[in-house]
Amino acid sequence: MASLIMQMLEGTVTSLRIFFLTLIFSLPLGFVVAKGKMTAIRPVRWLTDLYIQIMRGTPLILQLIFFYFAPFYLFGVSYDRFTACIVAFVVNYSAYFAEIYRSGLQSIDRGQHEAAKVLGFTRPYTFFHIILPQVIKKIMPSLGNEVITLVKDTALAQTIGVAELFRVAQTASSREFSTVPIFIAGIFYFVMNYIVSRIFSVAERKLGYYR
Amino acid sequence: MERMIQLENLSKSFGETEVIRNISFSIEKGEVLSIIGPSGSGKSTMLRIITQLERADDGTLTVDGETLFRSVGGKAEYDRSAERRIGLKTGLVFQSFNLFPHFSVLRNVMEAQRAVLKRSREEAEEKAMALLRKMGLEDRARMYPYQLSGGQQQRVSIARALALDPQILFFDEPTSALDPELTREILHVIRGLAEEKMTMAVVTHEMHFAKAISDNAIFMDKGVIVEEGTSLFSDPTEERTRQFLSSFEGDD
Repeated sequence: MASLIMQMLEGTVTSLRIFFLTLIFSLPLGFVVAKGKMTAIRPVRWLTDLYIQIMRGTPLILQLIFFYFAPFYLFGVSYDRFTACIVAFVVNYSAYFAEIYRSGLQSIDRGQHEAAKVLGFTRPYTFFHIILPQVIKKIMPSLGNEVITLVKDTALAQTIGVAELFRVAQTASSREFSTVPIFIAGIFYFVMNYIVSRIFSVAERKLGYYR
Repeated sequence: MERMIQLENLSKSFGETEVIRNISFSIEKGEVLSIIGPSGSGKSTMLRIITQLERADDGTLTVDGETLFRSVGGKAEYDRSAERRIGLKTGLVFQSFNLFPHFSVLRNVMEAQRAVLKRSREEAEEKAMALLRKMGLEDRARMYPYQLSGGQQQRVSIARALALDPQILFFDEPTSALDPELTREILHVIRGLAEEKMTMAVVTHEMHFAKAISDNAIFMDKGVIVEEGTSLFSDPTEERTRQFLSSFEGDD
């Protein structure tokens, strides 16, 4: 039993690595994608839209397989499964975050930009100090949702053989002819998401000082 | 008298719609100009062009001796190097206040002083507190905009504009979002600024107020100036002006 828990903790570490690496890259990248979708330059907007459509319109499990195998079949190069997994997650989640950012950016009154312009703030200053803080407050609930989904989606990494928590649990399960490891994994996911949702509610409360 | 604003032959279209047609006027230093006219007559667009929220199609504009754009071959040619400098000379107060909701009242008035004029924290705070005191909002400094009434929010936004020491302050229907009592509050503030000889241009539907504080007035309709001069309030020469003013009769 103790060794099973140890194995599952190791799997959890892998799951958490996927989780944090995905967030580190896709949270900022999502902004770039959102800007692309909102630009006046038509080809850029069109391509960004196509990218978002594909990411949202096909299963993540398929995208994982694509990013693991495509480089080999297309260019004859292969890279390790963990890297492929991170690439797939980042590319997928950037698209989802982009749509959340876009909804936030579009909900900010035009008057905020105009007031900032008239007061002489530069464009970067306006974005980082006037617009972004208000966007973050507005998107907190949808962002929380998406981050919780990500915790559970990490289980898909096993498709290309990444030994994350769920794969470890399944392997143990078939080795011991018992579903217990799977249920233990369920508790692990629940605890992780409980922590995530607590963090988000604290953040929402902290941002609640204004309306 | 020295000239603050000199606008010549301004034209502006949005797509096919001509919103401003060949408008010229000037504002002297220390003068208050009121701009009246029906909705869609181009009043706001004109303020937005002078405060650089919109671009002129054609015309020449000089602010405090510096030219922002000049008519060259039927097109307004902007002097990019002057844009920012001139922008700092002009302030604008919006109909919908547009305060920054995530900043306290004090920070709303301090932020541009710090970030744009690079004033020290002490200097910016001192200036902001002095302006808030003047607006009767000293005790609201630590509050957030949502905690204030519309009239108080508008006074904060006036303080925010004044904090940058503009040479001229524009008001775009500053009381249109307010009830009559709060409207009086704001008009009182603007009147106070007029007494201090602040140069101002006010787009307003408050006719008695406009008449009382103006050194000059223009009446606009369909993108042109129909009539100019404070006499238009008491003794309009144009039929269109008479018509427009009569719709305010019985109003207070």
